[in-house]
Amino acid sequence: MNIMLENLRFSFNCKIVKNNDLELAKISPQEKTLLVGFPSNGLVGTFSISYLIHHLKMKYIGDVEVSDLPSTLFVEEGEILAPIRVYNKNNLFVIISDVPFDQYLAEKFALAVHAFCKDHTIKKIVLVSGMESVNQKEDGPKIYGLVTHPILESKLYDNQIPKFLNGSIFGTDAAIISVFRKTNIPVMVLYAECHSFFPDPEASIIAIVTLAKILDIEIDIKDIQNKIDTLRIQHRNLMEETLRTLQEKKTRAPQIYR
Amino acid sequence: MNNFDKFEFRMAFPMISSLFDDIEQRILSPLSCLREFDNYWMLEFDLPLVDKKDIDVTFDENIISIKAKLKEEYSEEKQGNIIKFEYFKKSISLPERINVKKTTAKFQKGRLEIKIPKKIVGHSIKIN
Repeated sequence: MNIMLENLRFSFNCKIVKNNDLELAKISPQEKTLLVGFPSNGLVGTFSISYLIHHLKMKYIGDVEVSDLPSTLFVEEGEILAPIRVYNKNNLFVIISDVPFDQYLAEKFALAVHAFCKDHTIKKIVLVSGMESVNQKEDGPKIYGLVTHPILESKLYDNQIPKFLNGSIFGTDAAIISVFRKTNIPVMVLYAECHSFFPDPEASIIAIVTLAKILDIEIDIKDIQNKIDTLRIQHRNLMEETLRTLQEKKTRAPQIYR
Repeated sequence: MNNFDKFEFRMAFPMISSLFDDIEQRILSPLSCLREFDNYWMLEFDLPLVDKKDIDVTFDENIISIKAKLKEEYSEEKQGNIIKFEYFKKSISLPERINVKKTTAKFQKGRLEIKIPKKIVGHSIKIN
């Protein structure tokens, strides 16, 4: 079944825009999963979701527009790209944002994600984010999971992901969790321990490995391992912009004391 | 030692300073953050592609400056031009009342952490 994106118009002043140049991917009738990534602590979501799109060779199928988001476009090798894009392969969808959200836009973005899920009969969502590590262990960053519905608890257990037990969540993660916990679409959030204020591709590798287990796919992490230092330099500006956006509206990054 | 012994107050957000690369001098501006704790300030610089031996840290009054040579040239394409960088360099203004002499630094996983103790000033008041 081809999904006709041109027929989709989201409420909340958000819509998905058809991409004319690309053939839309066929959707498997199996359970559809949506992955969501956006700039936050350590840019963990940005790195891990981008890597997955690249590694799985997912198809770009359209953009999500969020009203009040300042007009922004990116140009990559002559191609114009919107900041919030949708990718697909089989029953796996991805929404990735290249721009950080303040609290106001985070809520709008969360509603747009919800509208997308309803229209595409998405059965579950996985968010990837970073969590400030106060006392990071010697053996590297750990990852924790949080679920909105009991149905996803077994996924954490089966994949030996410890549960995020105590702490506070702010910003876009919190906005998405708040919207979806009232619906019948469950959300799993993976929080990788990271440096909150510097790009942290090393933490993203833990997130990618965990994501692969959850999705039951194989992902070779060699590419990202070889580029850790370069990625840190390349993403300095996005990290700085993310921190400024979060500070401006007095939202805070997740912080946990253990 | 239980977990609470490690508990320290920290600011939700650090002070961040803008990035200004110097294309002519081939200098990158590193990310940095300054966070306040009970008894000290923690200043961090993100210095990927750098070896510890190639980092210079200097204090001048309340300004701390770092310069670090990259292990290998880093290139970026900007508007069709390839721009090459060889160094990280940045200066940060520190808060007043710091103990420069007791400042320590460590470099781990490409991150330079400079711990700057606060100067204890003032006097105690007797409670009757």
